[in-house]
Amino acid sequence: MLLASLLVASFVIFAAMYLAPGNPIAALSGGRSLPPSSIKVLEERYHLNEPFLVQYWYWLKNALHGNLGISITLRENVSTLIASRIWTTAGLVLYASVIILVVGIGLGVLSGLRHGALDTSTLVVTAVSAAIPAFVAAIVLILLFAVKLGWFPALGNGTSFLSNLQHLTLPAFALAVSSLAIVARVTRASVREESNREHVQTAVSRGIPTRQVIWRHILRNAAIPVTTISGITIASLIAVAAVVEVAFSLNGLGAFLVGSAQSKDLAVVQGISLVLVTAFVVVNVLVDILYAVLDPRVSLGSRAA
Amino acid sequence: MTGKRGLLGAAAGAAALVLVAAACGRSATPTTPSPGASSATAGLVTTSPPGTAPVDSVVWAVYRDVNSLDPIYAFDYPENTADSLMCESLLRQAPNGSIGPGVATLSTPSPTTLVFTIKPGVTFWNGDAVTADDVVYSLDRNTDPKLAGFYPAVFNRVSSIQATSSNQVTITLKQPDYWLPGELASIPGMVLEKSFVEQQGKNYGTPAGKIMCTGPYMFQSFKPGVGVTAIANPHYWNSAVKPLVKSILIKGISDVNTFTSGMLTGAVQGAYEFGIPTLDQLKSSPNVKVYDGPGWSTDAFIIDNLKGPLGDVRVRQALSLALDRQGIIDSVYKGAALMPRWQSNPGTFGYGTSVFDAAYNSSPVMTQNITKAKQLMQEAGAAGKTITIGMSSQLANIAAVAGAYQAAGQAIGLNVKLKSVSAQNYINFFIDPKARAGVDGFMTVNYGDYADPAALLSTFVLPPGSQNYDHYNNPKITSDLDEARGTADPNKRAALVSDAEKIAATDLPWIPNVQPTNLLVLNKNVTGAVASFAYMFAPWADNLGGTGSS
Repeated sequence: MLLASLLVASFVIFAAMYLAPGNPIAALSGGRSLPPSSIKVLEERYHLNEPFLVQYWYWLKNALHGNLGISITLRENVSTLIASRIWTTAGLVLYASVIILVVGIGLGVLSGLRHGALDTSTLVVTAVSAAIPAFVAAIVLILLFAVKLGWFPALGNGTSFLSNLQHLTLPAFALAVSSLAIVARVTRASVREESNREHVQTAVSRGIPTRQVIWRHILRNAAIPVTTISGITIASLIAVAAVVEVAFSLNGLGAFLVGSAQSKDLAVVQGISLVLVTAFVVVNVLVDILYAVLDPRVSLGSRAA
Repeated sequence: MTGKRGLLGAAAGAAALVLVAAACGRSATPTTPSPGASSATAGLVTTSPPGTAPVDSVVWAVYRDVNSLDPIYAFDYPENTADSLMCESLLRQAPNGSIGPGVATLSTPSPTTLVFTIKPGVTFWNGDAVTADDVVYSLDRNTDPKLAGFYPAVFNRVSSIQATSSNQVTITLKQPDYWLPGELASIPGMVLEKSFVEQQGKNYGTPAGKIMCTGPYMFQSFKPGVGVTAIANPHYWNSAVKPLVKSILIKGISDVNTFTSGMLTGAVQGAYEFGIPTLDQLKSSPNVKVYDGPGWSTDAFIIDNLKGPLGDVRVRQALSLALDRQGIIDSVYKGAALMPRWQSNPGTFGYGTSVFDAAYNSSPVMTQNITKAKQLMQEAGAAGKTITIGMSSQLANIAAVAGAYQAAGQAIGLNVKLKSVSAQNYINFFIDPKARAGVDGFMTVNYGDYADPAALLSTFVLPPGSQNYDHYNNPKITSDLDEARGTADPNKRAALVSDAEKIAATDLPWIPNVQPTNLLVLNKNVTGAVASFAYMFAPWADNLGGTGSS
């Protein structure tokens, strides 16, 4: 499944990049008019003069041997370039995921179980924050916590684990804020729904301790839709991370992908896309496994509703 | 992504790049004011006051990551900023644009012979002495077709480059070329160590390799996404310069809001800027100081089709007269630009300055005059005709200036249609004749490689010029510039270039919009960077250091 996804994705992206207007040599030389002999050298070096399928085959053959090619703009191996940035993006997405899961599900469960002021305010706050795009959140967070209060750095990566954590805090919240709201709302709704089920009412009336009712009868059943929505939002974070990385000037894959696509640096775009597709597939597989753990009726390979 | 700064390089023969975007405001802090009130760049400063205290580290922002540290591939702000911090050219442009000795001194025994004598004691960072072989090798790399560098056209009057002794290099010319020294005081003249470059092979200047130059700051690391780190060179051959900053990180920050918060919070200590909508915010911050220096770039409307209505000089003049330039300066540049009199920015008067200043001051300022514009339109019988301007609505500054042209057209009865393309495709106007086919012209910010109005002018008025898209040819301008290129005396050369500029100012092969100034943005605790556009081509951090106040 993973291999098929990768193959299809790589072909589609390669074709899209090939068809998109623009010319990597122009991007490389900033449009300076190069003598024809120089252009020929560059075209041969990067196989730009070959037909589309030959170019793709060339790339695929190398990729299968673990060689992702050379960045045209940086003249450096794509795998090295990716390796130097992947941890920033992974850390950012992981950090944001933790925030989404802990805060989002926590808030959803609490407001699902308790009617009243907490529930109402959660509803209002999540309705607003669900509508905040990551780049707006980034601007507001920088203005408030970096410029005005000075609690967190405004940009860049850290140098040690702790300073990395400090540098990634604002970006992770910017990335998490709208997904967090959605996860909280779905969690709240499904907890509320399970609470009103007959078996739960029966369990309560039979005097089973509340704690046990909540854990065994409500949360376990509510977990399936929550897992689904969390999986989808976390997988989508990988793509949205680009926006946040640019806003905080982080050394991550997303920002690199944007820049490379603009300068038509094909090998880099392909390489990063493969990493992103892989991550996306892996997250989905993890979600599938979780389904099976949560609900024995689900067997691996088939998908829960 | 908000406020992304886009710049596009474009065609260049002897010079010139094109960037898309524009710029900013004015903080007159005249520490080294240009002499005399009659100077065309009066009120602008060429340097910030020298630093006095040591500083541990400085983060210097550029608008995107550096792509290469090999000077033959330097074509845009980030690469130029990094290269000129660390590497030195044969000759050197001073902050005021004048050209003097660099790694070598120049003598010209005959108009077609340039002899460069390497200064005694000039060494690379590793202590090796600079030899004539290194110089020849460095210059030859520019024209090696296998390397496909960006500057081969600079050497088109050169017949040979030879080492004539261990410390002497002789360049023989096919015909006199007094523009070549300017180029050799710029990126194409940077001196690298031959053995080091050969040993690095194709890794030279890439993130996988290292570089070897002679400057006051030496290369430490080049990590894509992190930046280029340079450290003070304790054994700098020029003992008059003592680099005060231990480590300078050149960091790509593409989002203007991120850059701004970086300056406000002290995460970034400096940058050269233009086109920042947040300039007022920066200027009002107690943490930031903004200097306004002479710029060498011109914001202009490139005319690429002389077969349409713009083929009539009266229509070009009418459009120029109807343009609200002060409005562009106020809204797009937030004050940091000058009203044009010529095609070129007066910041480029790097030689024959008094000749240039006098000629420039006797030329009229291009102020708005709708009545006269309408009259010219009537004489040309062009009312109701239509022109199309290429622009990109994604590039805010380009879009704003194109809008000003639409308003100007409306005021004089010329229909101006706008053709918008994506930001990434804007570059195609400069490089693809098919993209230009549908438009009468498009907007640019353009500069030459050294301080000479001819450096930019020649690219679009001379018949073989790399940016002469409409095959413009005015015999008088052509002969003036050809003669200037072969004229040794700087004042005579300036007079010839002035003459060409004066004709171009009324014949309008391009329509100059405004002349941007160069903005130096510094944290309040550091000072000493060059404030003029010279930073693009020569070391700019020799005097950078702490203010000593904190």
